[in-house]
Amino acid sequence: MASARSNPERMDDGFAGGMTGAVVLHVALIGALVLVALYSQSHRKDWGEDTSTVGAIQASLVSAIPLPPKAPPVEKAVLASEDESKVPEATPKEKAAPPPKPTDVLIKARTSEKPPLKTAPTPTEAPPKHPQPTPPTPKAAAGDAAPQLPQSAVQMKNGAGTLTIQSKTFGTRYAYYLRIVANKVQNNYFEQDIDGHSALNKSAVVVFDILRDGSVANLKLENASGSSSLDGAAMHTIQRIDSFGALPEGDRITIEYKFDYHSGRS
Amino acid sequence: MKFRLSLARKGAKFVAGCVTAFVLSAPAAKSQDWFHLETNRGDSDRIRIAVADFKASSADPKTAPYKRTFDATLFNDLSNAGIFDMVSKAMNPQSMPGFQAELSIAQWSGAPGNASMVAFGNLTVQDNRLVVNGFLDDTHNTQFPQIFAKQYNEDGSDDSARQIAHRFADEIISRLGGGIPGIAETKIYYVKIGDGGKEIWEMDYDGANQHAITHLGSISLSPRVSPDNSRLAFSSLTHEGFEIKMYSLLLGRQVNFAGAGGTNVSPAWAPDGQHVAYSSSRGGDPDIWVSNADGSAAHKITSFRGPDVSPVWNPRTGAQIAWISGRSGLPQLYIMDADGSGVQRLTDGGYATSPSWSPNGQFVTFAWDRKYGPGAPGGQDIYVMEIASKKWIQLTHDGGRCDFPSWSPDGRHIVFANSPDGRGAHTRIMTMNADGSNKRALTSSGGDMPNWSWR
Repeated sequence: MASARSNPERMDDGFAGGMTGAVVLHVALIGALVLVALYSQSHRKDWGEDTSTVGAIQASLVSAIPLPPKAPPVEKAVLASEDESKVPEATPKEKAAPPPKPTDVLIKARTSEKPPLKTAPTPTEAPPKHPQPTPPTPKAAAGDAAPQLPQSAVQMKNGAGTLTIQSKTFGTRYAYYLRIVANKVQNNYFEQDIDGHSALNKSAVVVFDILRDGSVANLKLENASGSSSLDGAAMHTIQRIDSFGALPEGDRITIEYKFDYHSGRS
Repeated sequence: MKFRLSLARKGAKFVAGCVTAFVLSAPAAKSQDWFHLETNRGDSDRIRIAVADFKASSADPKTAPYKRTFDATLFNDLSNAGIFDMVSKAMNPQSMPGFQAELSIAQWSGAPGNASMVAFGNLTVQDNRLVVNGFLDDTHNTQFPQIFAKQYNEDGSDDSARQIAHRFADEIISRLGGGIPGIAETKIYYVKIGDGGKEIWEMDYDGANQHAITHLGSISLSPRVSPDNSRLAFSSLTHEGFEIKMYSLLLGRQVNFAGAGGTNVSPAWAPDGQHVAYSSSRGGDPDIWVSNADGSAAHKITSFRGPDVSPVWNPRTGAQIAWISGRSGLPQLYIMDADGSGVQRLTDGGYATSPSWSPNGQFVTFAWDRKYGPGAPGGQDIYVMEIASKKWIQLTHDGGRCDFPSWSPDGRHIVFANSPDGRGAHTRIMTMNADGSNKRALTSSGGDMPNWSWR
């Protein structure tokens, strides 16, 4: 019992002391929390706003997040494919009607190119009687581009290719050499490499020089077709060729070769 | 049951009929050659060329035989080139043009010949000199038909008539071939199997003009001509065993090549003509050694256990060597860099021998017995492999044992040794296009190990 009596006294004493201690502790805790919060808030602002230090993380997050967004592109693609499917529906109708027209146009083009072939001999038949120096001057004077082109124009088997040479005198004097060049290009032109869908009715133009020993130099793509596979096939065709055989005359000739892709093959 | 029995009888009869038919047809089938089916995109675009018989413009009695040799050789050279569509001589016009002015282009360009090119000229024998004027005309170009004109003047002999025809043919091929070198002037060196041993012989690319080079009275093998046609390396049996020997074609005699003991075989020239690779067992194990062209500064570039033989350099780059190695058992085809690094195995089995690298460096041809062993089907045949893709095709079929393929310098022909019945004494030299077509024998029995000159 004595202990019970003495306890309340002690409790009173202990209560006051403990209470003050607790209050002080809580105040200190709250103060510390407030300080920490203030400090962290102030620091967080810097941390969040400072793009230079944390930019990388943000950037990576941004780049990582788009992975789920790939779903929207699919939706877009679906939309796009719907559009595409609509377009083909339109084009077949166009194609269905045109096919006669393209052939007509092509035939017209061929026939229009060939007549010059026939007309070319008639003016050229007269010159042989004259000494050889004379032919170049009539050509220079008349500027016979029409009879010149067909002599060096070459139709390829599947998808036409056209060879053009700048020097007219070379084209007439050494037509056989240009035929060999065109033939060799054609034999190295592999249409299997071409994506028939994207390259249809397109043409790529490459320009290159043939040096004295027949080797190829300064190959470049003059006009891109818009189909990378056709452009690549055209370039590879020329790259594949080591030599066209020594030039019959001169140190170099420049050849322009047009690769067409008109195939209805695939 | 009866029905079944009759069916069975019918079946038996049918089988018997088949067997008899097969037995009867077997000799016929054996006599037939291999059938070739091929598609060639460029085939239809080959240049159609007519070769006129040359006009004899002298009364010398030797003119006629020279002209015969010349006409036949020229026509064969152009048709052997494989890049022309030859107009049969039966379709040539009656007139025989000897000069540019005598050529009527319309006669040649029209039916039945429809030639787009005409080769013609004249041949004269004067004071025992043979003078040939050759012309090539383009019939499509009425304005400037002449492509070139050449005059040849040589000592009058049947051989020079043939050589002039070869040179004229090579000139035509270089003008019209689109960069293909003519091979009509090239030579083939080979081993002639005689009674007393084996000697090195030489012949023209078409098998004409066969004659001996060496007279050693020994056994000489694997002749290899240098890139400049000046020297011939071969291996010959001496008192010390097989040694590499060097023969100067310019001096007409043997020149020094340092010997080293052991068995030294299968020499090969580097494309620069300064180095020779060969197989030597001087260290005990047959390895590939490389030395200078006089045998000095020899060093070993392979060191694996097992035989290494038949080296051949990449003729285009000179940076790689293909060879046959038995390091993994049966001999297989390998390639490595010229210093011995970067070893790659190309064949996946069988028994591969005697590689030869194509002039453009893209392919290697070799003899291969793909199913080697007792009772295995097939035999030793010639194959071509593309180095980059390791894809191969078989060029000879059922023609007997084939070995020692060698590319022509234009990369369009392969010469090889063939023994129809597998007996060594019956080995002969044959040539074919590099796609396996147009096989024909160049020598009768007794020719082996051919090597086509570099140019």
